[in-house]
Amino acid sequence: MPRKLFRYALAPLLVVALASVTACGSSDPVETETSDVSTPMTISFFGSDANPTWNGMQDEVGKEITKATNVTINAEYDVSGGGTQKIALMTASGTYPDMIFPKGSITKLVEAGALIDLTDLINKYGPNIKKVYGDDLARLQYSKEDPSIYVLPTNAGVGQTSFDAGGGFEVQHAVMKEMGYPKIETVKDFEKVLKDYKEKHPTINGQPTIPLSLNADDWKIMITVTNPGFLATGAPDDGEFYINPETYEAQLHYKRPEEKEYFRWLNHMYNEGLLDPETFTQKTDQYNSKIASGRVLGLIDQDWDYQQAENALKSSGMPERTYGHYPVQLNTETKDRSFQDIGAPVGYGVGITTSAKDPIRIIKFLDWMSSDEAQILNQWGIEGKHYEMKDGKRIIPADVQDKKTNDNTNFVKTTGVSGYTAFGVHYGDGVKDSTGNYYTTNFPEQIIAGYTAAEKETLKAYGATTWKDIFPQKDEFPVKPWGAAYNLPAPDDQEYTVNFQKGQDIVRKRIPEAILASPEEFDTVYDEMVAELSTEPMKKMEASYTQLIKDTVELWSKPVAAK
Amino acid sequence: MDTTTKRASSKKGERVSKTTIKRGGGFWKLFKQQRYLYLMSLPFVIWAFIFSYVPLWGWTMAFQNYKPAKSFFDQKWVGFDQFTALFADQQFYLALRNTLAMSFMGLIFGFVVPVIFAILLNEVKGMFFKRTVQTVSYLPHFVSWVVVAGIVTKSLSTDGGIVNELLVSMHIIDQPIQFMAQGKWFWGIVTASDIWKEMGWNTIIYLAAITGIDQEQYEASRVDGAGRFRQMWHITLPGMRTTITVLLIMSIGHLVSIGFEKQFLLGNNLVQDYSQVLDLYALKYGLEMNRYSYGTAISIFNSVISIILLFTANGIFKKTTKESIM
Repeated sequence: MPRKLFRYALAPLLVVALASVTACGSSDPVETETSDVSTPMTISFFGSDANPTWNGMQDEVGKEITKATNVTINAEYDVSGGGTQKIALMTASGTYPDMIFPKGSITKLVEAGALIDLTDLINKYGPNIKKVYGDDLARLQYSKEDPSIYVLPTNAGVGQTSFDAGGGFEVQHAVMKEMGYPKIETVKDFEKVLKDYKEKHPTINGQPTIPLSLNADDWKIMITVTNPGFLATGAPDDGEFYINPETYEAQLHYKRPEEKEYFRWLNHMYNEGLLDPETFTQKTDQYNSKIASGRVLGLIDQDWDYQQAENALKSSGMPERTYGHYPVQLNTETKDRSFQDIGAPVGYGVGITTSAKDPIRIIKFLDWMSSDEAQILNQWGIEGKHYEMKDGKRIIPADVQDKKTNDNTNFVKTTGVSGYTAFGVHYGDGVKDSTGNYYTTNFPEQIIAGYTAAEKETLKAYGATTWKDIFPQKDEFPVKPWGAAYNLPAPDDQEYTVNFQKGQDIVRKRIPEAILASPEEFDTVYDEMVAELSTEPMKKMEASYTQLIKDTVELWSKPVAAK
Repeated sequence: MDTTTKRASSKKGERVSKTTIKRGGGFWKLFKQQRYLYLMSLPFVIWAFIFSYVPLWGWTMAFQNYKPAKSFFDQKWVGFDQFTALFADQQFYLALRNTLAMSFMGLIFGFVVPVIFAILLNEVKGMFFKRTVQTVSYLPHFVSWVVVAGIVTKSLSTDGGIVNELLVSMHIIDQPIQFMAQGKWFWGIVTASDIWKEMGWNTIIYLAAITGIDQEQYEASRVDGAGRFRQMWHITLPGMRTTITVLLIMSIGHLVSIGFEKQFLLGNNLVQDYSQVLDLYALKYGLEMNRYSYGTAISIFNSVISIILLFTANGIFKKTTKESIM
């Protein structure tokens, strides 16, 4: 009996166990075969940023794309957290989507050997991609040691000239109007309008007025709390570092004495009761719902972070409660460097993973998405539906523009216009195609057409046509030879990663603490933080970053060698 | 239930093995005798083996500098380096302190409150009222932590949060308190929201235990002149003792692994010194940085501590109350 038991019950099990052990061993991707472009194909994709307007390609532009390429994208987007956790899990399990937009986690994927080198694929199957980048293709190389191209930086537009500003310090149009449009140059001017308005209007729509609120939820603390530290003290955005333009020496930017003064001002704002006491405890949704109630007078943020709330304000009939952008500085000695030139675009982008069965077909898809036809489809929409040709000029009809401005979330959801930029390299604002029209819809006339009446009124009072006009312009600063440091893949070394994270933990704890301290305690708390950030491991971490910047400058200043 | 059957079967096993030893038949004879029992338990043994023991193979990672996408033989072996790094990190001790503090608070209140609640509920005579209270109190169990965290942060908000509004209107405080911004409040907030969410659910098992108590005991005590409180103390509580002990020993085994949902969702940058728990620490400094080996080292540490705690608790209870699960 027991022998029979072994034969019938255990033996098959043993076979299954052995089979599964051997099956784990081999998984080499075969990449010689490619399917015909006319056969339908589904590409799986993971995007590291939340995308609430993604509609499974069931929108108008999405259907056009599927019609032209026979490709459907099966996309998954991270809800928050910028993809780090999801991607860590992917590398642990070794299974990836076909296509991925990894943001800063690219280092992990490269380390795990998950991304394929696109250089040959682009050379063979990517005429449109090559056309867009031209000689700058070499700038896409990963690093000095590894000259592979892993991602197409679809996050940035090639040849981009920004025509509008979305950052700086924000004040509601209603506030500026009532205060008689004063000049807002320093934090003191900013503080004064918020304070005066609050005294006059202690409540808005029946709820207490909040003069200034910030969003410190998770990584957003960088956007609205720590980044303004360098923005308001005349330094360019290099992520968490300040890079000395002469020596390329990198240091954590909060260690600069100027920034201490900026945070001292925030501390003062808190102690004066002007900074929302919930700044450091609220979550992003609470922050946005406060803004959407119309009672937050001022922000220090980027427009994409509070876009949803601003859209809600517009659609609920409070356009005067939306915000204008002002280049506020700590004092009059420095200038806002938001528009400093970073040279050719490199940055976050889309890559193909080793799990993709048919990389050739995918690169063909990405290449089609980079064609003039697709760029216009994506940026403008479908002719006759979302735009019209009049005397050789592309024009957005008034009713479409109205929806686009005042109900943007739904507009993108139903039409898909501008919803597919991540899937193709594209020209930036201000570049014209062969018909003499702009590729994107962001050009001065169009941007102005997209402003609400309240925005136009405010701008007129300052003698400007766009927000960018009141910011210092590109030509006032030299071009940065290392681009923007936050776009560079971080040093691929565990010691660096760990110490960087420890530094971030210190900063994210200490800076809120310093701001919420009493004015007398501020110095002690802040100096303690600087001391904690100046230990040997931290200095070593900064030194690795310095090396990265030096390598990048060297790599990029070499004459372009076609591979 | 699981434990009681286990106990019953092991007792039976002892008895049978004693008899077989007497007969001197050995293992195979016994095996043959009980072949259907063995056959029936086989699927569960296989299940436990595949899902609980095979993954232990992954522990080898803790002694390597594991890199994904490399075969086992290409990994670099580093001995105890990961553990040395772990024990040298100040933040690890902080996370350990927070984990133990919050789990002990959760253990104490998570036991006392449902037991008291079950006894009180048992004393209620109106059937309709009793059922309603019971249903209402266990409903929060089905609400996810994401939602609970939202409710808690909104209620404790200084901007129109109900708790602060109430306290101010009753003149207990003059200024709204920033509950979520202070580390010293954090453990309490986590424990309180946990009790709000799980109290009703955890009561169910105690109510079931109370139902099993023989009604004659109550009658007898009433004849002897015992009041309501005497009955609770001398009959209801001792009647629940077995259930309480078993659950207590099992939760002690889970002390270190309390998860991170609550802490992750309720925490913020200001209170991170009090909200960072071991699981969060492992996530942040292990997985999120691709330091799989380091993460594994943390989980081995967790498992070892859990086993020690479990056996200690079990031993103590065995000695003192004669109740144990092993």
